[in-house]
Amino acid sequence: MAELEIRDLHVRHEDLEILKGVDLSIDKGEIHALMGPNGSGKSTLANTLLGHPGYEITQGAIIFAGQDITEAEPHERAKAGLFLAFQYPVAIPGVSIANFLRMAINAKRDEPIGVKEFRGQLETAVALLDVDRSFTSRPLNDGFSGGEKKRAEILQMAMLAPDIAILDETDSGLDIDALRTVAEGVAKLHKSQGLGALIITHYQRIFHYVTPQFVHVMLDGRIVLEGGEELVERLEREGYDQIRQEHGAVV
Amino acid sequence: MAPLSSADTETATRPPRHREATLYAPLAGASARTALPESAPVGDAASLLAALREQALSSYEAAELPVWRRSGFWTTSFAPLDLAALEVHHHEPAAADGADVPLPQAAAKRLPERARAGRIVQLDGSVISVELAESASAQGVRLCSLEQAAAEGSEAFHRHYSQRLTSDRNKLEAANAALWTGGAFLHVPAGVVIEDPFEIVSVLGSAGSAQHARVLIVGDRASEFAVHEYTLAEDFEGQALHTEGFEMYLSDGARCRLAHFQDLGPGEVYDATTRVVAVGRDAFCHWLPALLGGHLVRQHLELAVTEPGGDMAFRGIFFAEDAEMFDMFAVDLHEVGPSGGDVHWRGAASGSARASMEGLIKINPGAQQSHTYLQIHTVMLSPKARIDAIPSVLVSADDVSASHGGSVGELDEDVIFYMQSRGLDRTAAVRVLVEGFFEPVLGELADEPLEGVVRAKIAEKLAAARAEIEAYAAGR
Ligand SMILES: Nc1ncnc2c1ncn2[C@@H]1O[C@H](COP(=O)(O)OP(=O)(O)OP(=O)(O)O)[C@@H](O)[C@H]1O
Ligand SMILES: [Mg+2]
Repeated sequence: MAELEIRDLHVRHEDLEILKGVDLSIDKGEIHALMGPNGSGKSTLANTLLGHPGYEITQGAIIFAGQDITEAEPHERAKAGLFLAFQYPVAIPGVSIANFLRMAINAKRDEPIGVKEFRGQLETAVALLDVDRSFTSRPLNDGFSGGEKKRAEILQMAMLAPDIAILDETDSGLDIDALRTVAEGVAKLHKSQGLGALIITHYQRIFHYVTPQFVHVMLDGRIVLEGGEELVERLEREGYDQIRQEHGAVV
Repeated sequence: MAPLSSADTETATRPPRHREATLYAPLAGASARTALPESAPVGDAASLLAALREQALSSYEAAELPVWRRSGFWTTSFAPLDLAALEVHHHEPAAADGADVPLPQAAAKRLPERARAGRIVQLDGSVISVELAESASAQGVRLCSLEQAAAEGSEAFHRHYSQRLTSDRNKLEAANAALWTGGAFLHVPAGVVIEDPFEIVSVLGSAGSAQHARVLIVGDRASEFAVHEYTLAEDFEGQALHTEGFEMYLSDGARCRLAHFQDLGPGEVYDATTRVVAVGRDAFCHWLPALLGGHLVRQHLELAVTEPGGDMAFRGIFFAEDAEMFDMFAVDLHEVGPSGGDVHWRGAASGSARASMEGLIKINPGAQQSHTYLQIHTVMLSPKARIDAIPSVLVSADDVSASHGGSVGELDEDVIFYMQSRGLDRTAAVRVLVEGFFEPVLGELADEPLEGVVRAKIAEKLAAARAEIEAYAAGR
């Protein structure tokens, strides 16, 4: 069984059914791409996987590391090794990145992390993301630029060392250099730690640095098409119209 | 820097964008002294005090326990207090060396281990210990009970006692002026700079206790010092009362950092407190009350810039839980210009607590070139908690800037989810959020031990609200 298994997932927000039966399996060390037009349900899937209370699962199940986590609290999922890099990270005023990370790391452990060990990890992550050390003293996402927010997300991912990460449009809003840094960071974690990832994106460019083995296309709350890397190129060329015509009506 | 309004008196019309007048009126320099009969003998400290006590006693006897009613849901009523059943409890003071008196439990639990310039402790009606650092006393600093200062005929007492406090505005204010015992007196002479804080501690020892505390602090020209006041109560069930009249006078160029840690515990403790700080010429005060507990807390806090060049930063924190009710009135008064001001309060409520925070900027006629800003931010941690924040601006000069802002918030579920997705449980996430909320003000204490004390109390309040904070989430 794969590390993360999503089975026939139906999700509702208030009166709106957004996900209408999603099946997806991601194993450690695998890179998956999830693409789809605006509003098709990608972020809903990402948030639901982490247990956002605003999304109600009406049918189906989420299995992670052999456990049914469909009903689990968000922090339990995080502790089990799941991570979400948010499309729109929120600000946490008054709490520095470093302090927040220390709390998050300690939440996973019985004994609080030692000062030296923490500093060592932070230094490694800071180097990986090519940010200034002083960056981690800033209140998390408070007044950050779009690009800084995205870097902070991947910095957290590097520190928390999840088994499976969902990156929700982490590449959006990054300049060319930042994109390379962030994407290479993901690639490195993939290589060194066997990170598995679901990369949600609208663009091909991130895949110049991390190669997806599996590509999924979501339309209107369903995954309608799956393939390999070549699918990304096809989407780039054709857009979604063709696929919508072929698969849009499929129930 | 456009003027906000021009009005001769506080009852004149104000621009519509400001709320109706506050329920409470500022003291604005009123003094119980002016009401004394001409014949009263006031030539020295002791006789002045006796005359003021006598005057206050008749106000006390004539008045009923105060009830303040505002339209809508809000009433602040001391009527449930069985005043006749309360007594002033007295305790043996320390031996002459003052060294070995154990702190009352509540104080031992709260007060940080730290360097300090001095400490005076009052338990119920009695000052039980006074200590003053050698270095401070060598420079002429005086720290003693207020009773003693009066008895010794202190010149500073004679000059300033009740200079800006009244005694006839309500029964509890009158009770304080008439009946106070013990009390604290701190005088820092001209040019004396003391880095470590003076601690003024009062503790309510048991149910049935009425404590009328009184504080007078005088900072002479160019003195610099810090004062931390702790208002505490032991853990008991039943009624008790703390009243307080606090006044501080800063002369030319004096600088003071003043902070209060107020937590009157889980008993049915009533708190009726008035504090005034007068900032003189080119003087500066950083003032930060942290109001953190009591059954019914009514505090009038007034900071007045009384001479040109005076400047202040008025910060405040409050957190009401359970069935606590806080009724606060904070005044930023500019009697003259140029003067500066900056008022920033942050408050939270959990359980079915209620808190009302009225903030008033008042700029007197002629106080030109006064610049001030008032902001009140609040967060409600449960659906039944309620906070009213009422900022008002009364401006009677035209070359000034005065404005207000603020926010009313609930817990932001998206932020909580963000933190949970990183592994923090809901309670921890809420704690981070609330601590972060208080941080902009708390951090300004710039005093680690005291920050720690305030943080610990906030954490206790959050821990106590844990079940409800989780239920709040589940109910969404
Ligand atoms: N919290 C919410 N409140 C209201 N509507 C929502 C909410 N979350 C999702 N939706 C709706 O569900 C649908 C899917 O939204 P979602 O954010 O999952 O799309 P997406 O595929 O991530 O789009 P994008 O590419 O623009 O990020 C949209 O119609 C959206 O308006
Ligand atoms: Mg999205």
